[in-house]
Amino acid sequence: MQEASNDTILEVDNISYSVREKNIIEDISFQLKKGGFYSVIGTNGSGKTTLLRCISNSIQPRKGTIKVNNKLINKYTPKLLAHKISVVSQHSEFLFDFSSFQVVMMGRMAYQKLLQTDSEQDMIIVEECMKKTNTFHLKDRSVKQLSGGELQRVMIARALAQQTPIILLDEPVSSLDIHHQFEIMELLKKINKENNTTIFIILHDLTLALQYSDKTLALKEGRLAYFGKTREILTEENIRELFNINAEIIDNKHIIIKHNEII
Amino acid sequence: MRKKDIILYCLLTIVVLGLMILGLFLGSVDIRSFDENSLYIIKHLRLPRVIMCVLSGAGLAVCGAAYQAIFRNPLSDPYTLGISSGAALGAAIAIVLGLDVFFFSIGGFAFSFALLTVWIIIRISSVGNRLHITTLLLAGISINFLIAAIISIIMVVNQDSMDKIIFWTMGSLSGSKFSDITIVLPFVLIGIIIIRIYARELNALLTGNDTARSLGVNVERTKKIILFFSTLMIGVIVSYCGVIGFVGLIVPHIIRLLVGSDNRRIIPFSIFGGMIFMLVADIISRTAIAPSELPIGSITAVVGAPFFIYLLYNAKKKLNQ
Repeated sequence: MQEASNDTILEVDNISYSVREKNIIEDISFQLKKGGFYSVIGTNGSGKTTLLRCISNSIQPRKGTIKVNNKLINKYTPKLLAHKISVVSQHSEFLFDFSSFQVVMMGRMAYQKLLQTDSEQDMIIVEECMKKTNTFHLKDRSVKQLSGGELQRVMIARALAQQTPIILLDEPVSSLDIHHQFEIMELLKKINKENNTTIFIILHDLTLALQYSDKTLALKEGRLAYFGKTREILTEENIRELFNINAEIIDNKHIIIKHNEII
Repeated sequence: MRKKDIILYCLLTIVVLGLMILGLFLGSVDIRSFDENSLYIIKHLRLPRVIMCVLSGAGLAVCGAAYQAIFRNPLSDPYTLGISSGAALGAAIAIVLGLDVFFFSIGGFAFSFALLTVWIIIRISSVGNRLHITTLLLAGISINFLIAAIISIIMVVNQDSMDKIIFWTMGSLSGSKFSDITIVLPFVLIGIIIIRIYARELNALLTGNDTARSLGVNVERTKKIILFFSTLMIGVIVSYCGVIGFVGLIVPHIIRLLVGSDNRRIIPFSIFGGMIFMLVADIISRTAIAPSELPIGSITAVVGAPFFIYLLYNAKKKLNQ
């Protein structure tokens, strides 16, 4: 394992996670650099979400370590870890009618003391984040009434309000139509560039991975099969091996799946 | 605090005080003049009862709001989850064992059994990651069945204690004394304060464990603290008032419609809501068939059970969409 260099923000060292003796992910190691745009690909059940949940400290790996800024994540208090890592999940279920503004304000929790009310500064930050994600006009609407794309933008606004150097996203665009998929990806690219935020995103759509991410982690059966520059990872050959399909890559930008050639 | 809220709190305080005064004068004996007899009834029978009413109402309503967030289930309430019944079973066992001489044995038993019920509920509801509204409710309802059966057996075997035990299963405020209030008050007060302190964390917990954790909430610790103190409140309230269902279900829901879903507002408003609901229920229980009395638990259930069915119907409708 090479030493973490200065611009390494997240370091995953040899982690495994298992459920009832069965390994879901196994011996995964990699490092993320500040300001990188990383996509995670792999078939269903390849361990993508489990990996993400390990990094967000929702579950603890059976072995191995995860460090953020050179400090083990389980040494962080939940609050301080929330200053480093924010998470956007695929589905957000809301039982009751919270307004979009209230939901984005939840992103400020990690900066508030018990019983402290939302400060002037919190209000300003929330407004900024909502404007950036083009959701400010939705601020009084209940999150239960938002469309899929609007809701995901609100969730990204909440992650922004957390002001973290790392944002983890678990298939944030899978349930959206093509137009809204690109809208979300453009937004993430903007955040990545403007705030130098490290983006770690699980994607099903390989074309999106190819067009937006600098680097790609490819998981297969719980192991990290490939990790490197996206263009070098997403080759016709590797796609065949990972997904058992024949694909053609055009102009280094588009991936055409030949549906009659499913292996 | 918003100006509008302060005015609302003032109005609610006036309503609560008004109902309390009304509660002092209404009942099986008409108060027509302030003779010695009437003053005695007001001071020693009705005043403690009215105060107990206010305390239990506030406690039950706040517990309901807390359980709804912790279990991520809009139909949660100390009664629907079987936690109140667990406490009643504990109390019944303490009576049968002849431990009812000391408060802390009945209260302690009630609390321990309530906590045990909470543990069972958590075990059942945490199977799998997804949110299952109906599994949790079925667990609560089954526990209610089981405990009702056990309590019936205990009653038949111990005929002498039957009256006392019936009191716990139906809920009653008639025997309240000032000495009881001095015990219930601190538990309810501390419980409500703790739950209010964690109101923002409860908001986050409503969005799921993983999300709450990523927002910086110490999920396990918060849940343990909230469950401990809310169940302690239930244990103590059930020890003195018996099982009074649905207060914790109805009140937070109505409050939510009025002030929104933020628990930082729901909890303080639920205190008042619970007080008002219980005071009204108590007045009905004393006047509806005067000079006899209806058990207060049956009044809250007559209102609460249909409300529960309505919420269940709505939840199902949403699932089928």
